[in-house]
Amino acid sequence: MTLDFLPRTAILEEIDGQVPDHHLFSFRLPDAFPIAPGQFAELTVPGIGGFAVSTAAFVGDHRFQACIRRIGRVTDALYRLPLGARVGLRGPFGKGFPLEEFLGRDVLLIAGGLGMAPLRALLQALVARRGEIGRLSLLYGAHDPQVILFKEELNALARQGLLDLHYTVDFAAEIPWRIGGIACQVGLLPKLLDDVRLQPRQTVAAVCGPPGLYRCVLDELAGFGLAAETIFASLERRMRCGIGQCCHCAVAGAYVCRDGPVFSLAQLRRMEGAI
Amino acid sequence: MKSFGVGSGFGEALLSLLQSRGRVFGPVRGADGICRLGPLSRWSDLCPDPPYLPPKKYLFPPRERLWSLAADEYRRNGRCAEAMALVGLAPCDLRALAYLDRVFADDPHYQERRRRTLLVGTACTPTEECSCLVGDYPPGDIFLAGDRLWCGSAQGEEFAARLLSVLGDEQDRPLPPPEAAGRPASNGRLLAAFGRSAEAPLWARIAKRCLSCGACSAVCPTCTCYDVVDEALPGKAPQRFRTWDNCFFTSFALVAGGHNFRRDRAERLRFRFEHKFFGFGTLRGETSCVGCGRCARACPVGISLEEIRQALLTESPR
Repeated sequence: MTLDFLPRTAILEEIDGQVPDHHLFSFRLPDAFPIAPGQFAELTVPGIGGFAVSTAAFVGDHRFQACIRRIGRVTDALYRLPLGARVGLRGPFGKGFPLEEFLGRDVLLIAGGLGMAPLRALLQALVARRGEIGRLSLLYGAHDPQVILFKEELNALARQGLLDLHYTVDFAAEIPWRIGGIACQVGLLPKLLDDVRLQPRQTVAAVCGPPGLYRCVLDELAGFGLAAETIFASLERRMRCGIGQCCHCAVAGAYVCRDGPVFSLAQLRRMEGAI
Repeated sequence: MKSFGVGSGFGEALLSLLQSRGRVFGPVRGADGICRLGPLSRWSDLCPDPPYLPPKKYLFPPRERLWSLAADEYRRNGRCAEAMALVGLAPCDLRALAYLDRVFADDPHYQERRRRTLLVGTACTPTEECSCLVGDYPPGDIFLAGDRLWCGSAQGEEFAARLLSVLGDEQDRPLPPPEAAGRPASNGRLLAAFGRSAEAPLWARIAKRCLSCGACSAVCPTCTCYDVVDEALPGKAPQRFRTWDNCFFTSFALVAGGHNFRRDRAERLRFRFEHKFFGFGTLRGETSCVGCGRCARACPVGISLEEIRQALLTESPR
């Protein structure tokens, strides 16, 4: 295998700016871009810089979709680009969620903040095979009701009975809050675990969110009786090369960019410093 | 291994042969008294001291262009790597290059240069800071020790064949053993001690002296962390470079939004130690510290990997 540093040119095709500073960007490539849920790509704003970002959609055609927070110099430049602008795209990189592990079982998704973006890709993949999985639940925590991502799609899935959906926010102006008819609690994500009836032995969990979330929620899931091999988390790290070379993302001897970013809790427990 | 005696005038003859093929670099003492790898114009200029920076700078340059963008196309400005010879490399540096060959096995930039690079090794006398590994070392294409030469590769044999007029008797001889301070290459006990050391006080104690300056990584023959930097100068095409980075810098594990996965110095010291002795990714389990002693010589506060290694072996909880 020869490593390739050259991006492909992609065209900025659509921007969904519903949530301020958390826009959903859609890009079109000349060839198919077979990126799986949990995998990531490197997006380059020419002349400014590049960054790693997970796919927010399960598409597998000529499109790439990512939810990108406006957080620094490069993302700020991206937010200023007009539709039709050309960007660079490398990837797909890393190992995504092992979909086959989810089939035939109940699925519990836990998203914190922007962690909803990679889990949306997984959710789409699961909904596409909805008949092959049991109960499908999503616990989603956000800073406040305004930054809840994809709420219309999520609510629609809940209304169709395809998804058992629970929201919580850190701050809300009034209580109780409802988001498109779905109840929203105020408090930390793990609190929502009290609301779902788990059948631990037949449940697979996928968790994505800030580092603090993993420290409290992964062991709690194991405490409910889920096997550590069936609890998956996607790790965030600084990634500069995407190919296991530059060393920024290394933890416990593994390159998160190449050996992950999705790991099972069983793996993470053997990786000191990972969570 | 094919070996020849070498007579007087051999060095100059080898050098002029190498110069006819491409550029030649070797350890040369500068006007400031410091020995560095640089252009070698006279065989007698070769300096026996370990050069301040290791040979990685020729194969993995401090800053190199990955692509430039013109007319919507990302291009690897493919200037062919020039032929070069690196001369006067001690066994530790030869070991280090063999390690880099594996780190960059799939890297087209490194491999193009490497394919056109000839390595001439030489026996050396360890300094106080050295902790050479015991056991076999890679010979390079040609290896020189005392009044003999060894051919380490087919290319080395070709060169010897063209120098027969200044070579003596041909014999089949093993490489001379390194004049080693003698650190074992196997790491089992150290890895076990490392695994138990997450909470050990030695990291904080040694890191307290560390200035986080990164000199140790910069002079390390096997440190290859890099950053990726884009540049667009007025009127010029956007370009991407990779530049040497350093795991001691605070921003090394910083992510968007401000979370830092290795915020304090003790964590970064432990991270570097882990990389040097236990490797990452497919090279996990292998030591990349070749014991050249450069980090210890460069450290402004006198920290050495050897000090940490010893502390770990003696202090780590059982």
